[in-house]
Amino acid sequence: MIRIFRSHIIDITGIVLLAILVYLISFSSGLDLSLEIPPSLLNLNVIFISILIEALPFVLIGVLIAGFIQIFITEEHIQRWIPKNRAAAVVMSCVVGALFPACECGIVPIIRRLISKGVPVYAAIGFMLTGPLINPIVIASTYMAFGNDLKMAGLRMGLGFLVAIIVAFAVSLRFKSNQLKDPIHLTHGHSTKQRSFIDQVWSMLTHSIDEFFDMAKYLIMGAFLASIVQVYMPAKAFLQSADDPVASLIIMMGFAYVLSLCSEADAFIGASFSSIFPRSSILGFLIFGPMIDFKNTIMMLSVFRLKFVLGVLTLTASVVFITLFIFQNVI
Amino acid sequence: MKFHFQQALRALILLAFCGLIFQLHHTGDITKYINPKYSGLSQSASILFLILFFIQITRIWTSKKETEIHDHHHSHSCCHNNHDHDCSHDHDHGDSPFTVKKLLSYSIIVLPLMTGFFLPAKTLDASIADKKGGLAILGNQNKEDAGQVNLENIDESSADDFEEYSLEDNLEDFEEQIEQDPSVYEGEQVISKGEFEQLKKELNSSPVIKMDDFVFSLYYEEISKDINKFKGREIEFQGFVYKEEGLNSNQLVVSRFLITHCVADASMIGFLSELEDAPKLYDNMWIKVTGVIDAATYNGAELPLIKIKKWEEIEEPFIPYLYPINIRIL
Repeated sequence: MIRIFRSHIIDITGIVLLAILVYLISFSSGLDLSLEIPPSLLNLNVIFISILIEALPFVLIGVLIAGFIQIFITEEHIQRWIPKNRAAAVVMSCVVGALFPACECGIVPIIRRLISKGVPVYAAIGFMLTGPLINPIVIASTYMAFGNDLKMAGLRMGLGFLVAIIVAFAVSLRFKSNQLKDPIHLTHGHSTKQRSFIDQVWSMLTHSIDEFFDMAKYLIMGAFLASIVQVYMPAKAFLQSADDPVASLIIMMGFAYVLSLCSEADAFIGASFSSIFPRSSILGFLIFGPMIDFKNTIMMLSVFRLKFVLGVLTLTASVVFITLFIFQNVI
Repeated sequence: MKFHFQQALRALILLAFCGLIFQLHHTGDITKYINPKYSGLSQSASILFLILFFIQITRIWTSKKETEIHDHHHSHSCCHNNHDHDCSHDHDHGDSPFTVKKLLSYSIIVLPLMTGFFLPAKTLDASIADKKGGLAILGNQNKEDAGQVNLENIDESSADDFEEYSLEDNLEDFEEQIEQDPSVYEGEQVISKGEFEQLKKELNSSPVIKMDDFVFSLYYEEISKDINKFKGREIEFQGFVYKEEGLNSNQLVVSRFLITHCVADASMIGFLSELEDAPKLYDNMWIKVTGVIDAATYNGAELPLIKIKKWEEIEEPFIPYLYPINIRIL
């Protein structure tokens, strides 16, 4: 009885929501706001929406995978792959991170759980750095963003992997304890085994929705800031610094940090700068951004000690900078 | 039964995203935002949003019993480490109370929906061309030979295809998915190497160089690479007027935007032109011109200069942008 009632109420709610939306849209078509709004704002809006439309498919694929991992892959699976030897663990964690398609939005809670289950902190950092950067979706979006050019995607992955290994090694030398802010309460594992497959798929999808809403606001803010930059910041001011490889590299890495873009979509934004900045600076944007950015730092601060977060941040920034500086001078 | 306002709001937002993308495809405005080559991708995003919407609406109403079960799961799968605010950070299930912070984050998510529905899709104009660096970019492109349809680039990437075969494998599924969608092909400008050579031959031999939208970027690149070869040839093309500070009163740029992906990556291409009527023309006016190719220098870089003989005002084309041509060598 209740079930029947419930299923009806869902239908009704769905129809009501659809009606609200149709009403809003029809209301909008009757409105002509175009005359009152300055053209620069309309330009801003077009660029803003276009970045989102281009990014959304990738974000959706990303949150679906994140939902899948949340439900179907346990920490035990990953932990089993991490060897005891430190060097091997660093390399291994970077490889696992590369195989593990995660978003930087979702990776902080994952690494916290990994550390709590006994994974060394340096391995977790290696995992955090390669997880969002190296995965099929990022490869695909980078490939497409740079006009179906594999070179950019290959360089992004290769150099990014190198940076991650160096940073993870440095962390293993500098930081010993688990660096967590609060001691971890050990808990029982998931109760996944008792649940049916359908239930698991269902909770995977609902988790994906939650993940989408967590991430969407960062993506939208990033897209909005990026479009402000495009519409109001004259490229000529950059062009002067674009000739200087060091300054342009710093500018692009700063952009990547402040914009806090999702690694699945930042390739499109990086590509939009490619007519202005040299390739090594674009690579700085593409490699540094997914590893650590503004929103990621805030999330890390809620888990790790301040000193550790700042340490990892400066370490990653300087390793990316030095690697790309060498890259642009050698090649 | 309990009604969850936030879950309902989330369902509405998911449906609105689906509706926004659908509407853009339906009206054809999508070409004002992205390269039609990728429209299949955004269509599938729209469908995914619809599926997520159907899942989300089941969460709007819960019976008392289910709420308890959910809370139980919640504490197990999410908040089991630290009993602090992290939970709402990382795994917000939309059940926690509605706070100012949440209002802010929902407003951010609603913002693009509002502007997407309510504001008209505007074509990028001369002010963007100016912000993108204007003529200085055109000069730089030629100097560094870093144009969008760079022939060397195409050859290199095809060589890479061969070397980085494993990478290609990864992408295959992805590409197949795109290729199966016939609507993607409509906008895709893929030509074979033979056709490409044919186009170049036409460029070299035809009495008048006719730059239609399809070949514009290709011919533009060819002409910019070797201006002297084309000096004195007659050329016919259309574009919008962009006047940059520092140009003579009889000079203007007849320009187009080349969209690799979405309008955010638009790069300006265009010809510096000279005509007596220039003061009569204003920014963003679309014109069709016939002229003769000449050369000029700007900031030390050599640019093609078009001496315009004839011009007429035209309406802005429905698809104002250009899309790069991809050359398949296989």
